[in-house]
Amino acid sequence: MLLELLFCFIATVSFGVIFNVPNKAAVLGGGIGVITWVIYRVLPEYDVTIIFATAVAAFVSASIAHFLARRYRLPGTIFSIPGIIPLLPGSKAYFTMLAFVDGNYLLGLEHGIETMLQAGAIAAGLIFALSIFSFGKGIGQRYETSR
Amino acid sequence: MRRSDKMMDICLLAGEIMLTYGAETYRVEETLERMARAAHFKNVHSFVTTTGIFLSFEEEGIGDTMQMIRVDDRMQDLNKVSLVNQVSRQFVSGEIDEDEAYDRLVMIEKAPMNYPVWVIHFASGLAGGGFSYLFGGGVRDVFPAFIAGIIASISVVKFQEYLKVKFFAEFMAAFLGGATAIGLVFFGIGQNLDQVIIGTLMPLVPGIPLMNAVRDLMSGDLVAGVSRGAEATITSLSIATGVALAIGLFL
Repeated sequence: MLLELLFCFIATVSFGVIFNVPNKAAVLGGGIGVITWVIYRVLPEYDVTIIFATAVAAFVSASIAHFLARRYRLPGTIFSIPGIIPLLPGSKAYFTMLAFVDGNYLLGLEHGIETMLQAGAIAAGLIFALSIFSFGKGIGQRYETSR
Repeated sequence: MRRSDKMMDICLLAGEIMLTYGAETYRVEETLERMARAAHFKNVHSFVTTTGIFLSFEEEGIGDTMQMIRVDDRMQDLNKVSLVNQVSRQFVSGEIDEDEAYDRLVMIEKAPMNYPVWVIHFASGLAGGGFSYLFGGGVRDVFPAFIAGIIASISVVKFQEYLKVKFFAEFMAAFLGGATAIGLVFFGIGQNLDQVIIGTLMPLVPGIPLMNAVRDLMSGDLVAGVSRGAEATITSLSIATGVALAIGLFL
């Protein structure tokens, strides 16, 4: 597990470098990535589904990212992109592709749906965190009740 | 030169840098509107999509000014976005005047990347190695994924430089990275081929378009959000096709 965290930190910081974020933000982003990975790995051991664990991890990392963005006065994406990266369903997407190449369409659809669900869970976590940090400022309204 | 022309240049330059290097649509719109308001223009409106910026404002007693620019390139350099953000914040709070803001923006536009390109290649290798371990590979799979990640990163940069076609560069990078991974595993360096290939492809993932698509859709910029999502989808598909070709040819 410790080796896993070390690799996660290195990989997340490298992603910060790939996206050219400022130096200090790259290291902080690595920290967010490690927290994300811990949540994503620990929750399934308490009988939580992987999809829900992904959503919780995305929510926590996006919240930390918003907090740090306020604190250091930098755009929020600088922290949230490296933080989200470890959750991306890269391996499921790869097995989807592999199954389709083999002509095994049913297995491909199965993996494909899992990929989509995990991507959706990430989006859900991000949106929930964003909504909490936008209370009062408002993003999109449904009824004009104050008139 | 009228004052509104000058302010228009400053705003559009700031917007162009931000949009090119990967800022979200809402951030560009908000920055432009704040800067124009801070320069005491009325009736400020900006409309930003993934590929263009429209900005209009009214100068008291003279009339409306409206201009649009087309933004062709979309690159990954979040450091420039944060620098422009800082300039606009200082301009709005009155710390710097229009000339200084313009000079600083031109400097940001001409500045090289925050990290030299070999550091980015090296980081792609590290990311590839790290993710091959995280996605269930062993310690012995880290090294081949590192090498293949570097190859993929170098080829995406080089193909982009010579051919100037983004999606084809990503396709070829995925193909060459996948071929390198298959070759290294074939010669006994690394055990789990699947994990090595996954690690190799991770640095090519379109992280900024994906993130911005979610953010834009959420904040109501539907046109920009959908188009960013389409860009991310096409990039993912070209990566998948590239590696599928490598697997089909060599396995």
